[in-house]
Amino acid sequence: MSTPTPRLLLVTRSAPYGASLARSALDTALAAAAFDRAPGLLFLGEGVLQLLPAQDAAASQTRNHGKVLDSLPLYDVSQLYVDATALTHYGLQAMALPAAAQLVDAAAIRALLEGCEQILSF
Amino acid sequence: MILHTLSAAPDTPAFQHCLAQLQAADALLLMGNGVYAALVGAPAGQALGKACANLYVLDDDARTAGVAAQLGAGVTPVDFDGFVALSERYQRQIAWY
Amino acid sequence: MNYALLVLAPPGSASRAALGFARAACARGHHLQRVFFLDRGVENGLGTAVAPQGERDLPAQWAELASEQGVELVLCVSSAIRRGLLDATEAKRHEKAAPTIAPGFTIGGLGLLVEASADCERLLTFGEGR
Repeated sequence: MSTPTPRLLLVTRSAPYGASLARSALDTALAAAAFDRAPGLLFLGEGVLQLLPAQDAAASQTRNHGKVLDSLPLYDVSQLYVDATALTHYGLQAMALPAAAQLVDAAAIRALLEGCEQILSF
Repeated sequence: MILHTLSAAPDTPAFQHCLAQLQAADALLLMGNGVYAALVGAPAGQALGKACANLYVLDDDARTAGVAAQLGAGVTPVDFDGFVALSERYQRQIAWY
Repeated sequence: MNYALLVLAPPGSASRAALGFARAACARGHHLQRVFFLDRGVENGLGTAVAPQGERDLPAQWAELASEQGVELVLCVSSAIRRGLLDATEAKRHEKAAPTIAPGFTIGGLGLLVEASADCERLLTFGEGR
């Protein structure tokens, strides 16, 4: 892996607009970064749906999850890991990912889980 | 080495993710709706057991669900004291739910 | 060891497990510094909830743990206020009639979760399963 494994890993496994868990994961990531504990963020399973481009939340008057994701690098949350199997599952192999994102397979996910010190699972 | 806690029934993505990441040196604690994987003869439990020999079930939840009376042979019931003991042995926990 | 817990689960099986774990950790001599309630987890601190007859009064039992063991019970402020969980300060700020959080709980920012994660040796998540 090209970047060192983060000490704190947040695993996010929900789509962005159903329940609020995906949002809580991002809020936690931003808070951790604000306190100099920039975490790694692993988008697993359904969580990869958070990365869909062109989210337009205006219609539902809710916070645009995609925009919050776009802002992560500004706050030093730049270790983003994306479940490659899940992308395939949703037919999104060709989707443009955030610049900082790394595709991870099951073995690379395992390395992340083992390499960090703490895991928070959303 | 990771402590996995699985609180989702066998038919869920959470179960599949847990199974995909479970390794021999890990421990897995079944709790909540996760206890149904501990039913004797459940293919879900057998799949978990193949990946990892350290399978536990939270006793309170297994009793509540009616699973305690037909527990698979490879699954050890633990109380909360046992749950804490597991967390002492494994630095990292991942909650699958 | 120093422990901290993140509770994302609303009142139910997983939050009961978090409470059982918290009690057992204290009984085994560990220091449980803080339990941070986030997302639907904040519903565990709703003071106006009435437990059905024969079921455990979870907020009261959490509060008992807090007073006996000195465990901080923190409800994430943004999760809390959107769900109507207000302390005296938030109730006043948002012009609501009365505070609604249960005794023993406080409201605070996500920084308190981050701080706890930096200070503890064990950090466990409790989420409600499907």
